[in-house]
Amino acid sequence: MSKLTIVAAVTVVSWLAPVRMHAAQIRLPEGAVAGQPMAISTTGQGQSQARLYLVGPAQVIQRRVQLGSDVQIKGEELRSAGRWIAILREGDRSSSQVFWVKPGAPENLNFLARPSRVPVARPRVISGVAFVFDRNQNLVLQPTPVKFSLSVGDASASQTVTSREGVAWVNSSSARRAGAAQFVAVAGETSVRRVVQQVASDPCNLRMHVAQHSTAGIVVETDPIRDCTGNPVPDGTIVTFIQTDSHGKSAVDARIKKGIARAQLPDSSSATITVASGVVLGNELHVGGGQ
Amino acid sequence: MSMQVKSIVAFALAAGLTFAVTPWLKSILADAKPTVQLNVDNASPRQVDDGVQRAIVRDYAAAWQSLGSALADNNAGGLQDDFIGFALDKLKQRIKDQQQSGLRTRIVDRGHKVDAIFYSLDGSAIELRDTVTLDTQVLDGDTVLHSDHAQIRYFVVMTGAEDRWKVRVLESAPE
Repeated sequence: MSKLTIVAAVTVVSWLAPVRMHAAQIRLPEGAVAGQPMAISTTGQGQSQARLYLVGPAQVIQRRVQLGSDVQIKGEELRSAGRWIAILREGDRSSSQVFWVKPGAPENLNFLARPSRVPVARPRVISGVAFVFDRNQNLVLQPTPVKFSLSVGDASASQTVTSREGVAWVNSSSARRAGAAQFVAVAGETSVRRVVQQVASDPCNLRMHVAQHSTAGIVVETDPIRDCTGNPVPDGTIVTFIQTDSHGKSAVDARIKKGIARAQLPDSSSATITVASGVVLGNELHVGGGQ
Repeated sequence: MSMQVKSIVAFALAAGLTFAVTPWLKSILADAKPTVQLNVDNASPRQVDDGVQRAIVRDYAAAWQSLGSALADNNAGGLQDDFIGFALDKLKQRIKDQQQSGLRTRIVDRGHKVDAIFYSLDGSAIELRDTVTLDTQVLDGDTVLHSDHAQIRYFVVMTGAEDRWKVRVLESAPE
């Protein structure tokens, strides 16, 4: 254990040792901001040429500098926020300094809206997450108000959330009306829109009747199928009709077409027919046998 | 052999051994997966389950390992396994700039203390706050231009990809 400690200590010392002292110095401004210009001043003789390296999280800026003069870094050059290292190299001597660059103002949102399709009138089923970025895609860590709004037709609801450490999120209920909901996140001048398709929920009051009864069979059809808030259940949704009689059980899966589902079942003198869609049971019919 | 001679021999051997193993030790430290301690107690709005915790620890450590290799070798080839989106674009640009400047960066990663601070309801994105201890050297060839040992705070966004979590945002910030 102690040998390891010694080896580690020697390693650290060997790492730190090569940095030379007494080189020309760099003076860095405090509060540098990504996307904004910055001036760096150097000390030393005016005639000496040196090289300045700015090593940032996502870039390296390199300049030849006249010692004693200022170096101007343009806003479009200083793109990445975070920890930077400024190195001034003059011949075989170098001096260095760590400095920080803050993210710029919020200008971009990365907005995740889930799910893309959701039943109506469900509590807290839609989630919106917005990551706030500046122009150069740096995460803006300063608290930023983000307004989330969800609207379908005339119905609209909005909520403003202040981001924490770059992220703001909401959890919304779906509206009572089916349709393409516009889910919008806004931060400052930036807005991002997503569409959440709100579809009818499970059928409500599922009812069927006998449309035709002949020796060819029994034709049953439903009333127009709607959910509990009155939205038509989408065409294509499966409705299952089950006929039970003395011969056994017959089941037909029919798709809703133009708002209703229809099926032809075998002829029977006495049968019980039930209807269901998903977990929703409808009414029950007794055919023949005095019904 | 006198005591003094023995001491000199022992010192010479120790110095020689240190000289010999230092590059090897450095490379071992650079190539090893760093330690990641993950705390999920403050994650919201969704709790982070055990399987996700294990995956985050594994994939975040792998990301730092490949970051260290990429910056040291100026080779972005392996980054896409662990980084995606802005983080990948930025690291590729950094490596390209390093190549053009003739620089490279060597980091020795001494471990991460990570707090999960956000985990999305749908489980697709997680934000971490990481306090990492790093030794950093900026080199021109074998000449060390800068060297420091620091504790640095990072904000990290990871998103679920095909078979792993990938780093989408990696941004350092002052304490």
